[in-house]
Amino acid sequence: MKRMMLALAVFALIAGSAYAQGTIKIGGIWTLADITGKQGSAAAQMAVDEINAAGGILGKKLDLIVVDDEGKADKAAAAVEKLATVDKVDVFMGGMGSGAELGKIPAFKKYGKVVMSTGAAGSVTVEKALGPSPESDFYFHIHPWDYNQGASYAEGWDAIQKQYPNIKIRKIFLAYEEGAFGKSSWDATKILFGGDNRYIVDGASFKSALFGGGDYTSVLEAAKAFKPDLFLWAGYDADALPLLEQSKAMKFSPGIYLGAPPGWPIGFGSSKLSRNVMLYGMWSPAMNDNNPASAKFYKNYVAKYKEEPATYFAPLSYSAVYILADGIKAAGTTETAPLIKALEATKYASPLGETITFKPSNIIKHQGITRQKILQWQGGFQEVIWPFEAATAEPVYPFPAWK
Amino acid sequence: MNRNVSRIFAALFGILAIALPLFAGDYPLQVARNIMLYMALAITWDMLLRSGQISFGIAGLFGVGAYAAILGVIRAGMPAWFSIIFAAIFSGVVAFAIGFLILRLRAMYFSIVTLALGEIFRIIIHNLHDFTGGPEGVVMQQGVIFGGSAGKLYWLTLAGLAVAIAASYWFEKSKIHFALTAIRNNEISAKSSGVNIFRWLLLAFVVTSAIQGLLGGIFVQSYGFATPDTVFSADFTLLPLAMALLGGVYSTRGPIFGAILLGLVSEWLKLKIPYGHLVVYGIIIIIVILFMPQGLKQLVRQPANKTDRRSA
Repeated sequence: MKRMMLALAVFALIAGSAYAQGTIKIGGIWTLADITGKQGSAAAQMAVDEINAAGGILGKKLDLIVVDDEGKADKAAAAVEKLATVDKVDVFMGGMGSGAELGKIPAFKKYGKVVMSTGAAGSVTVEKALGPSPESDFYFHIHPWDYNQGASYAEGWDAIQKQYPNIKIRKIFLAYEEGAFGKSSWDATKILFGGDNRYIVDGASFKSALFGGGDYTSVLEAAKAFKPDLFLWAGYDADALPLLEQSKAMKFSPGIYLGAPPGWPIGFGSSKLSRNVMLYGMWSPAMNDNNPASAKFYKNYVAKYKEEPATYFAPLSYSAVYILADGIKAAGTTETAPLIKALEATKYASPLGETITFKPSNIIKHQGITRQKILQWQGGFQEVIWPFEAATAEPVYPFPAWK
Repeated sequence: MNRNVSRIFAALFGILAIALPLFAGDYPLQVARNIMLYMALAITWDMLLRSGQISFGIAGLFGVGAYAAILGVIRAGMPAWFSIIFAAIFSGVVAFAIGFLILRLRAMYFSIVTLALGEIFRIIIHNLHDFTGGPEGVVMQQGVIFGGSAGKLYWLTLAGLAVAIAASYWFEKSKIHFALTAIRNNEISAKSSGVNIFRWLLLAFVVTSAIQGLLGGIFVQSYGFATPDTVFSADFTLLPLAMALLGGVYSTRGPIFGAILLGLVSEWLKLKIPYGHLVVYGIIIIIVILFMPQGLKQLVRQPANKTDRRSA
């Protein structure tokens, strides 16, 4: 009898330690051919490695399994199915484009595991497809929705004009790519800037170079004729340099020249065309000077991958892993209900320069960041202009005339 | 004997395809759905190619069907299953109307116009913002068909594929085959033999477009949304084309083999080389098209020909 009890105790010890040595699996889905997905997944892996080096979570190691969604809805759905049924992941993370995210949502709903979403700003489709609480409570959306971004820009420009009286904006022209991203930017701009006649707003669409376009002559002609104080373009990284080249050729130099692509071309800062171009974003290496979390992230990323993080999706994905890890630690499990409850108490001081918490948005219950930043390319670097508490430089105004 | 063996194989393959949800997990079913969708599109592209007309309009008609189905549900309150049939009818009617204009064109002129059609449909959807949701697209509030059941969605896509295969065999085994082949070989001699060229081309164009619309309907009902960038994506033209070329054109079997091979290779590469699989995938397609212009059929035929020569 004693021998049997001893054997049972040994078995329980071995089984217990084997369980403790197990892994917590995170299923990451990104568009890996895109810089946002490539660097986002790399930053997430870096966070996983850091957490594992510090002993893991609940005595277990984290394991990030990355699958490419190729930016397509059907491939994205297959990625969720693979991660849920073959790899049996505990939670999901990742995402960038709204189209691919829409493909994932039916499968996400089927499995009901916690999702930490780092992209998909399209509220008209993605937020609507998720639906209200409690149906969508599993979904934690860290990236701001399009209307969050629009509202923060309106707030930012009001504040900048108040702080710097020499900057005066009355007329705004938006050149927007003709897809969902550009159209939602245009809709938000009309309402947030054009509402109550606060600003005179006009705009025109163009076909992004990313989708076979690249001729901006007509949209720039329309903008030049409108004589805007602020010229904003909402497109992709592929549009950045050709738009500036054509603006230079047409000698179009508005008071503020602003771009809002999700990421900038690598090496854009070294181009003379980048001088004093303003941009919307969430993070810049310039923030390292006054944000220790940003400095730590940047230093570790460059050391590990021998390249600079060129998109805010890198620190965003890095933050997403830490938020998930903290939530799992607090919940003591990866079970959906307790994990949701633990994540609702999140207060994570991120490298993005703000403490991430989750609050309800227009439809879903768990919205993370709601504010973007206004930055400016100065001397080849992105400097933060607003919010002032995160500012790293004064704005250079007006945008210099082309020589 | 050979024909009997191939029939037995086809029957076994059919039974396996129908029974797959009974033993396969949700992931293989999702991959199979993706492959079957592109396979069906590849077959429809090949069906029209048998007349000598190279169409680049697959994504256009697929997108038209997708929007017909989702707007049928959202704006007209159609049941989900009926919206798929409506998508096929609507795409067929659109193809019938435009067929009168474009089927008088030949060779690259026809190809260019079909390519432009897809873009025209996309621009129309973009600009009818209040009705179609514009560039941002539309979402079905009631969710996806069959509550997202993996098995039922698989069978739905399989049904779409079965329609494409049945239509393709009808084209192969009926007098349509002779008419389309005669048109492809020499229009003047076909006409002098009494073949009504325009009528047969219109039939082929309408039937293939209706099936492409049906598949578009199945796609949106499976994912619960439609955006112009997604449903008019060039992938719905280029991938079926590559699959048909890989498997071998002018037959039903060629696109089937091509789709299975490319679909499985694509998924396998994605898992094995997450950060570079698209480059490898592209290189494979280029190599196959360069060195096997007649597709995999060439591989099967070459050894058979050698055997024939030896026995002679």
